[in-house]
Amino acid sequence: MSAAALRRVVVVGNGIAGITAADTLREAGFDGELTVVGDERHPAYSRPALSKALLLDGDDDGAAHTLPPATHGATELLGVRATGLDTDRRLVTLDDGTALPYDGVVLATGSRARRLSALPDEVTLRGLDDALELRRRLADRPSVLVVGGGPLGMEIASGCLASGCRVTLVSQGEPLAAQLGPYLARVLTAAGREKGLTVVETGAARIEGTPGDARVVLAEGAELGAEVLLSAVGDVPNTEWLHGTGLVVDGAVPVDERGLARPGIAAVGDLAVFPTSRGRRRVPLWSSAIDQAKVAARALVHGADAPPLAFRPYFWTEQFGRTLKAVGHLPADGEPEYVDGGPDGPALMTWCQEDGGTTAVALDYRIPIPRLRRLSRAAA
Amino acid sequence: MRIVLDRPRCEGHGLCEEAAPRLMHLDDEGELVLDREEVDGPDAALARAAARVCPVAALRVA
Repeated sequence: MSAAALRRVVVVGNGIAGITAADTLREAGFDGELTVVGDERHPAYSRPALSKALLLDGDDDGAAHTLPPATHGATELLGVRATGLDTDRRLVTLDDGTALPYDGVVLATGSRARRLSALPDEVTLRGLDDALELRRRLADRPSVLVVGGGPLGMEIASGCLASGCRVTLVSQGEPLAAQLGPYLARVLTAAGREKGLTVVETGAARIEGTPGDARVVLAEGAELGAEVLLSAVGDVPNTEWLHGTGLVVDGAVPVDERGLARPGIAAVGDLAVFPTSRGRRRVPLWSSAIDQAKVAARALVHGADAPPLAFRPYFWTEQFGRTLKAVGHLPADGEPEYVDGGPDGPALMTWCQEDGGTTAVALDYRIPIPRLRRLSRAAA
Repeated sequence: MRIVLDRPRCEGHGLCEEAAPRLMHLDDEGELVLDREEVDGPDAALARAAARVCPVAALRVA
């Protein structure tokens, strides 16, 4: 499709994927009618900050992590939810009853927290309102039980500890091992324990009980409770509104190497499954959403002339006083090679991966990311 | 337009440099250096793109 045939584009989603797509459409020369639909009333904000700085910064009402105002000149419909997509008539339907016609559409409705129960006691952290509410509760220094030993669960546990709470983290196996690999998992989990984190490893955990009296039940039979019960057990793509379009496979939207699900239909960010050197997968990370959105927006305007995604994940986390930045695929198995530093202090490390790629990791080590990228290498 | 850096907030992720390499770069210590602060025209758009990708909202274009 040429830019001339593309008169109306609707971007559904106002997170970093949606607004990057909208910005990039303009950069790529699209000067037609652009509409951005977002179900949150807040202006777009930085989601990575929610489980990091925002939990600790008592003065920050979220405004400090609001993204710069949009300049794409789109009509912004905030606080409105898309309820359906009619790919034959090319319409996005909204929960206020309106229908938006499109020539091109960007699906960027992201994902939501996966839950272990329907109990209101189970708290999750996904959006700005969640973070502000959690921080309010932490002010009373409640005891906290975090279910989930991934990066988000560990960042939340770290924030709760720093707020003066007693924190227990329940993890399926060693925290972070599945996401980062054994070496980095060991470093960060040790940092957590040094700060007073109690780690409970289990085969599986459930949340049971009644509203106001929920508890965590471990596979081994033990039961745990706390004043605040948080879960961080992954995310579920928001694809229900695409029901009946044939675009959704196993709950997510598969796209090609340019982010297109079909001609004129792009899907970017946490709901998109795209080809990587390790197969087709979702990569729900900030930098991934940005890269996908840029590629897909250009593909909507320029079609197959647009460059495909050359994806190299960038991941960072801050927890228990340590910071980790990584370029390349994780988990990293085995022991690292030290480019600088050593096992106990700040270190710059690389791992040669089985697929021929190299993952570069900076631990408590300030380094320009372009330099970290040069140390990493994509799989052949 | 002027690029404004909130230095204490900057964590050196460098996504801004990737978005606008001709306006800013991280030095060998990982500190962000603004090579240009006053921008207009296409550079202003680049500056805004750089500010947008910062995960800690350390950049503003005012």
